Amino acid sequence: MTIQIEKTYPMPCSPEIAWEFLQNLEAVAGCMPGAKITERLGANRYKGTVTARVGPATMSFRGEVELQDVDPAARSLRLLGKGTDSTGTSAAALSLRARIDAAAGGLCALSGTSEVSVSGKAATFGGRMMNTVAEQILQQFADNFAAQVSALQAQRAAPGSGAGASAAPTAAAGARELNVLALAWAIFRNWLRRFFSRKSA
Amino acid sequence: MAASSDALERDAKLQGVGSSRLRKEDARFIRGKGTYIDDIKLPGMLFGAIVRSPYAHARIKSIDKTKALAVPGVVAVLVADDLKPVKLHWMPTIGGDVQAVLADKKVCFQMQEVAMVIASDRYSAADGADLVEVEYEELPAIVDPHKALLPDAPIIREDIADKDEVGHGKRTHPNHIFTWEAGDKAGTDAVFASAAVTVREEILNPRVHPCPLETCGCVASFDKVTGQLTVYITSQAPHLVRTVVAMLSGIPESKIRIVGGDIGGGFGNKVPIYPGYVVAIVASIVTGVPIKWIESRIENISTTGFARDYHGIGELAADKDGRIKALRFTALADHGAFNSHVSATKLPAGLFSICTGSYDIPKAYCRVDAVYTNKAPGGVAYRCSLRVTEAVYLIERMVDVLAQKLGIDKAEIRRRNFVKADKFPYTTSLGWTLDSGNYQVALDKVLKAVDYEGLRREQAAKRAKGELMGIGVCTFTEIVGAGPTKVCDILGIGLFDSCDIRVNPTGSAIARLGTMSQGQGHATTYAQIIATELGLSSDDVQIEEGDTDKAPYGAGTWGSRSTPVGGAAAALAARKIRAKAQKIAAHLLEVGEGDLEWEVDRFKVKGNPAQAKTMKEIALTAHTGNLPAGMEPGLDGTEYYDPPNLTYPFGAYVCVVDIDRFTGETKVRRFYALDDCGTRINPMIIEGQIHGGLTEAFAVAFGQAIPFDENGNHLGNSLMDYFLPTAVETPHWETDHTVTPSPHHPIGAKGVAESPHVGGIPCFSNAVVDAFAHLGVTHMDMPHTAYRVWQQCKALGINKR
Repeated sequence: MTIQIEKTYPMPCSPEIAWEFLQNLEAVAGCMPGAKITERLGANRYKGTVTARVGPATMSFRGEVELQDVDPAARSLRLLGKGTDSTGTSAAALSLRARIDAAAGGLCALSGTSEVSVSGKAATFGGRMMNTVAEQILQQFADNFAAQVSALQAQRAAPGSGAGASAAPTAAAGARELNVLALAWAIFRNWLRRFFSRKSA
Repeated sequence: MAASSDALERDAKLQGVGSSRLRKEDARFIRGKGTYIDDIKLPGMLFGAIVRSPYAHARIKSIDKTKALAVPGVVAVLVADDLKPVKLHWMPTIGGDVQAVLADKKVCFQMQEVAMVIASDRYSAADGADLVEVEYEELPAIVDPHKALLPDAPIIREDIADKDEVGHGKRTHPNHIFTWEAGDKAGTDAVFASAAVTVREEILNPRVHPCPLETCGCVASFDKVTGQLTVYITSQAPHLVRTVVAMLSGIPESKIRIVGGDIGGGFGNKVPIYPGYVVAIVASIVTGVPIKWIESRIENISTTGFARDYHGIGELAADKDGRIKALRFTALADHGAFNSHVSATKLPAGLFSICTGSYDIPKAYCRVDAVYTNKAPGGVAYRCSLRVTEAVYLIERMVDVLAQKLGIDKAEIRRRNFVKADKFPYTTSLGWTLDSGNYQVALDKVLKAVDYEGLRREQAAKRAKGELMGIGVCTFTEIVGAGPTKVCDILGIGLFDSCDIRVNPTGSAIARLGTMSQGQGHATTYAQIIATELGLSSDDVQIEEGDTDKAPYGAGTWGSRSTPVGGAAAALAARKIRAKAQKIAAHLLEVGEGDLEWEVDRFKVKGNPAQAKTMKEIALTAHTGNLPAGMEPGLDGTEYYDPPNLTYPFGAYVCVVDIDRFTGETKVRRFYALDDCGTRINPMIIEGQIHGGLTEAFAVAFGQAIPFDENGNHLGNSLMDYFLPTAVETPHWETDHTVTPSPHHPIGAKGVAESPHVGGIPCFSNAVVDAFAHLGVTHMDMPHTAYRVWQQCKALGINKR
């Protein structure tokens, strides 16, 4: 089962800051709820995990991530990910093209076009929820991303800061596990919100 | 001979053939006293849980049992390599193919069996199964059968990739199973070339699943001391299972006992032999401990006996008056990853060639190409999928398509094409000899009952207002009761059936048959047949099936074969007993056998009715000794019955639907079903069968489908998605009948349970399509869910207010 998602999120920082942050895969992974880079395999290849918790059960995906086509002029890159859960009952693959575009007021926007495909249990039992879940995860990711780049921007603007500080955001807030129940609540809340706003419109 | 009122009274007391007596088995069912597979509990029993493939097509790189074996209670984890030493990692299927018992190096469908975890209780087994770590390398999957034979298609079955054939003739591609054809191709093509009118339609019977209430399972128990293997199993054909287990295991068949207890619905889902059974049996042979394996609902829907997945193309050629001159049907059959579709050696596409239906069609040709895909195997199931459902669906839809093309009424076009009543027995252009039928009378009765003309007038008025109302007509002919052993076999074993009756000294009887009830009410109907033949009360006739140590060999219950074959065996075994009883009566009454006549429950001396011996009296004599010289004591009879032909029940159905063009919702306003199954043994049970079959037809037509994504992932294998109609959704059924006895069956009976399913599905589809007929729509594929029907409304631009 494959879905395509195209999203643009405004970012509270300059395009340069956002682009710099985007290339730091470990930091970016930190923004992904439940995701963690565990090992660097090469210049642009990493091993990582995504942990999701549904009630008492924990599902742990392991896989590899690779950065490709890094294009500083266009401020765009491609991220390929592939993983299976530890008991081998589900697999997921992601192909994401991310781009930083300049926006009004010296700020920027993060745009992503991604194709996510899942197979196994995740497709069979989670298929119907995939679009909504993916949107929620991306929203959380964008929120974390925004917080990180805004912190980075503030740090840079602060007097006395050096280039060496750019590694700081790696210890990001995102490395917690993805809590599916909380996610489900967020989806439900958003659905309600959309439902009522449509009515009033 | 005018029966006396006394005789009529005695006859009524027997509650024999024709009586709507209550079902004998219901006393235990309604009290919750049935014994289903999961009720079997043996001392020391272990439980098996299956680890299944998450992928539709993948190579197995490694299997790590360590974590699973560490779970408290887990005794063993079996994988293909563990079964190899006993050569049981592969098994033969009933389709002439082989199937992996546990995946050997690769998996070919999602949820394929990869390992079985054996544990002391069900929970530990399930926990262990979760922890078996399997490393897969995913391969591209084939989901669409149309892509299976492309030159660059991935090869699904590497194990047989270089085999020229897999049991049914030459293969043309590694994913090709067989091509089967029947009829006169050249002659048919010639008629098409010069016909006044031809019609063509692509018609899909989607993949569905019968989803019986009870899932599959078994308890295998091997006694290492005696070498005896007992298997309690959900099987519609216990004797065939015994033969296959003997062939597989090398244990002498005499030391294998297969027991089918009460079965909570089969519908063909419980005919094949599944890997779970085999692994449980092997595990018990190895451990010497009983092993229980019970399927979950999701496992049942995903992996065991699905139905259909037939991608058909129907073509008819006719004259301008709508008289059909030729028929050409082809189908692409998606058999999944292994060919375990039950099929006779000579009939790989089952009984598909019954597709000429109730019509007198001079030329016909049909062809079926079967292919492998990365889906679960099976294809036998669901209230007749010896491909009769698909065949009848095609012809009944195509007759409607032709009627629309010519502007002829859909009842009228059937009338013009029926095989006339005086032409029976009638041999179709595809070779079946329809034993009996009276189609016109049946259709007329139904049209009158529903006021067909009135309905058409109402429809015209509604169409004028922009409303959608559809009237579906279906006049089907079924083919049931496999079968003559000269045409029908499974793994070479002829499809005869058997009955062994023993009459006790006090005048009760026990009868054992090779069939296997799964809810059909055999304990009642067979008793009624024997009651009428022997003049003993059906209350006093006990029926036993399913225990291979007790019952004589038979091919089981599927394809509506119990009454046509088992019922015939029961009647003929009883007649053997009656013939012996007549000799005893003649001896006791000191008259010649020819001086006696049978009346209900006794032999009377002709012209002296006071001189009589009842069957009960004779039964006692047979055991006490005053017998004719040289006669052996006892009063038993056994019959192995090989029918001369199949039976051909038929029916005429009308369905009326109202469709909301804004929501696509379809409401079945009326459904009138007339069935002719020849002699009616228990009208109440027949009616129950028809209600059940129509409800399942409704389910298929309006909601059931097993969808897959492009990678072969199931998208609907739980009851959250899979439609099972409840009393809320199910329409009201009106039933009716005519009686056209089968001329070759001992009591003139035909099978009935499949008819309402086979005839019901096209009737619903015909009604839905008819609602759109005036807008130029000729066909809509099932399921007719509100969303899909709404899409049709939207395409026509009629969904807006």
